[in-house]
Amino acid sequence: MNKSITVIIAAALMSLALAGPGLAGDNTNHGGDIVYTKPVKSVLFSHKVHVEQKGLTCDMCHARSFEMEALKAQENPDFTMESLYQGNYCGACHNGTMAFASNTRCASCHTGVKGSTVAQGH
Amino acid sequence: MFDKIKLDNLKNEGVENVPMKERREFLKMGFALTGIFAGGTIFSAVSSIDRVFASSEEFASKYPYKPHYSMVIHQDRCIDCERCVEACAATNHVPHEGYRTRILQRDVPDAVGQKREFIPVLCNQCNLPQCTRVCPTKATYKDPQNGIVMMDIAKCIGCLTCQEGCPYNARYFNEEKHAVDKCNFCFDTRLSKGEKLTGCAAACPAQCRVFGDLSDQSSEVYRKVHQIEKAVWVLRPEAGTRPNVFYTKG
Ligand code: HEC
Ligand code: HEC
Ligand code: HEC
Repeated sequence: MNKSITVIIAAALMSLALAGPGLAGDNTNHGGDIVYTKPVKSVLFSHKVHVEQKGLTCDMCHARSFEMEALKAQENPDFTMESLYQGNYCGACHNGTMAFASNTRCASCHTGVKGSTVAQGH
Repeated sequence: MFDKIKLDNLKNEGVENVPMKERREFLKMGFALTGIFAGGTIFSAVSSIDRVFASSEEFASKYPYKPHYSMVIHQDRCIDCERCVEACAATNHVPHEGYRTRILQRDVPDAVGQKREFIPVLCNQCNLPQCTRVCPTKATYKDPQNGIVMMDIAKCIGCLTCQEGCPYNARYFNEEKHAVDKCNFCFDTRLSKGEKLTGCAAACPAQCRVFGDLSDQSSEVYRKVHQIEKAVWVLRPEAGTRPNVFYTKG
């Protein structure tokens, strides 16, 4: 008896997690911090900043620019500044209109080797 | 009582907004504008002779070395990917504990939307180096042709006096060589073999480090050091060593 209840609860939690993006108002279910190390070390993307602080919705990124899988983008050969300048990936918004342009404030996205060692808790 | 204005605490609003005409007026007086503060009520300026010429006035019309190697660093382009540091280590056999170039990080909480700033540093190949002056064995010396501060490791006794004398902390003791080691603009490993760039400049993916010959007026470093649109500065000018590594933004 007890066992089947736990299974049901677990299943409910699973579907909650999967339905994350569709849940209006719940924006803590996001993907956390993502640290890119390719092609260069290292760039920090923060869900917390974009979703909780800036109030962006999941669709704004996950409809077109990014999959819901960490570090997927850095497998693509065009995950470069040139591509960002053309409006892809982060450049979809970081174009000087929606958010600060990708050819400015380099060190706000790039946290560098030092940033990545801090992020990995070294 | 009024508090004294502390320039250090003010935000530099940049010289970009100062009209060109005004900047030229400053230059005529022998000053180059380095910053404006408090909405333009305070200007900071350095003597343009000091700024533009890496050495004292006798060199005002020409640079003493041929080629006069120099590096201009676009500080705001550095992303601390450290490819330069890796390339330097591989080229010059720099051990893990040592360094010839490093990236310093400065936290700047009030900078426009950016919380940090990366500053690449290396030997400044000073025109008036303190290290060569204090070395008891002349193991470190200024190359009479190209002005690079060289190491003759056979003469180095490892007393580390040069390390203390260096205002830029650009020297480390290499256990393997049993001598002090430092950046020599890759002279032995690249320049003397016909390469035009240092290992770090060649490896930078962000065009942050511009390397070249200051005595050549058509070179990029000459143009960058002599332009007046943007501020150009050196680290620790008060040390009076006349560095040949310059910094700029933009
Ligand atoms: C501003 C853009 C942006 C917004 C808004 C955004 N994400 Fe993401 N998300 C990303 C990026 C970038 C990645 C990493 C993709 C990659 O590396 O290829 C990512 C990855 C993820 C991942 C995978 C994390 C992992 O560890 O594998 C999940 C889950 C996720 N996002 C959920 C959400 C949800 C839920 C929302 C809305 C509450 C949301 N995201 C809003 C940009 C965004
Ligand atoms: C859906 C649009 C969008 C996308 C895509 C996006 N951002 Fe942003 N980002 C914003 C907005 C809006 C802001 C806040 C406005 C501003 O600072 O100009 C912001 C702010 C930031 C900040 C400043 C954070 C702070 O603490 O102030 C960083 C860093 C950043 N983004 C990095 C990234 C990176 C890296 C990517 C790609 C992996 C990315 N962003 C993709 C919209 C986006
Ligand atoms: C909006 C965020 C953002 C800003 C601003 C930004 N970058 Fe990037 N940058 C990225 C991302 C994302 C990547 C790809 C992931 C990686 O290499 O870790 C990248 C990769 C790079 C690369 C390696 C790939 C290539 O294009 O050669 C260089 C070099 C680079 N950036 C330099 C810069 C410089 C210089 C600036 C400032 C002028 C800058 N970036 C500003 C996000 C940003």
